[in-house]
Amino acid sequence: MDFLDCCYQKDQSVVSRKIADEIILVPIRKNVGDLESIYTLDEIGAKIWELVDGKRKMKEIKNVLLEEFDVTEEQVVSDMKDFIGQLEVMGGIKLIVEK
Amino acid sequence: MAVDCEHIPIVNYGEFSKRIHQKVVESKIPIGGSIEITSRCNLSCAHCYINLPANDSKEKEKELSLKEICKIFDELEEEGCLWLLLTGGEPLLRKDFLQLYSYAKRKGFLLTIFTNGTLITKKLADYLSDWPPFSVEITVYGRTKETYEKVTGVPGSYEKCVKGIELLIERKIPLKLKSVIMSLNVSELLDIKKWVEEDLGLSFRFDPLLNARLDGINKPHYVRIPAQDIVNLDLDDEKRMKEWKEFCEKFLGQPLKKDKLFLCGAGINSFHIDSYGNLTPCILVRSKTFSLRNGSFKDGYYKLFPEILSQKPSKDTKCRTCELVAMCGQCPGWAGLEHGDMETPVEYLCEIAHLRAKKFKECWGGVTETFKDTKETISLSNNPDEKKS
Repeated sequence: MDFLDCCYQKDQSVVSRKIADEIILVPIRKNVGDLESIYTLDEIGAKIWELVDGKRKMKEIKNVLLEEFDVTEEQVVSDMKDFIGQLEVMGGIKLIVEK
Repeated sequence: MAVDCEHIPIVNYGEFSKRIHQKVVESKIPIGGSIEITSRCNLSCAHCYINLPANDSKEKEKELSLKEICKIFDELEEEGCLWLLLTGGEPLLRKDFLQLYSYAKRKGFLLTIFTNGTLITKKLADYLSDWPPFSVEITVYGRTKETYEKVTGVPGSYEKCVKGIELLIERKIPLKLKSVIMSLNVSELLDIKKWVEEDLGLSFRFDPLLNARLDGINKPHYVRIPAQDIVNLDLDDEKRMKEWKEFCEKFLGQPLKKDKLFLCGAGINSFHIDSYGNLTPCILVRSKTFSLRNGSFKDGYYKLFPEILSQKPSKDTKCRTCELVAMCGQCPGWAGLEHGDMETPVEYLCEIAHLRAKKFKECWGGVTETFKDTKETISLSNNPDEKKS
């Protein structure tokens, strides 16, 4: 499936917190992320995290990012692939597979 | 697990903690705090400042309910609390401990549990393994059964504590061990330290200062060790002496803020909540509180704390001009528990501070006169003695 048609949902093993204007991801379950570390999100990362809701497809999220940030489409898609990939690796999100 | 993405900068806890604490100072965010989820305990330790009988049904009725605690957790999350200590009494005594722990975990707090370890079961250890805390800290009262139980007053508690420690170690749950040192167990301090550091490979610290009980009973006074012995514990401990030297170089000789009663970091980005839902700036200050049963955490933290912390000294005690104030354990909380007022000097602490200064001077050739003035704020919480158990 094309990346932009994919839809992801957050995993309950990772909790996001907003502390002093920083968005951080806190892994709360064993084998999720690195419990010795804290994951902080930058502005674009935080926006993607906010928009991943189990309903929006990546192309919808891409359109929001293009409207809100001064970035090219090519750059935003590349950043999203990178970011989503890493979130999957740490166990923060899961791909929704349509049956 | 390595994450290498420019949108998810990954930092270790130490680095993050330093950065976030610097950020929250101005905004006053309550980034860390503690909550006593019960004042009851299954042990009956000679030195303890809080323990009430485990089966005290009236006390149990007065405690915060699970629903009330969860509501407080909601409010703490909302206000930006990240590091949260679950303490007691013995927190594992609550039958609903796992429910409230699980609720707090899902709120994203970095949870530390202070426990005596005796109630850790395989089931609990498995759960903590699956949903790991930031840290568990267990207090070890002796290296032998005889000494341990002389402190706790409960036969069989030593074996249970050791078993609890083993269950956590087997599951690689983040664990720190510590001890409270008193006349009943001081002879075993080195054995405890050796066991923890060399045999178990864990970090260890100890606290030899026993504050008065919350209910005013003088029980801990009877097991305090003399000032000379406390200073000897410092002198015999290379790591502790290094910490003291660094502390003295940084903080001693600074002028006091004469218009402030509270010289420490209590209530600045931190808080304490007792088992009845009363909010205070620190674990030792109990004289003026805000009930979270009658108002919100936000109101208590942002309205009551400035009022408490801006209090000015009302009398001219010897502490106001003492150059050793930073290395002394004297604080409004200690004094309040010891004397019922927050300013009267605690002579025990005074004696220890002056003896320390004398001995350190003999070791290093000078204490106050040779140390530089710095612009850093005096923070008694950095004092090597102030890492409360």
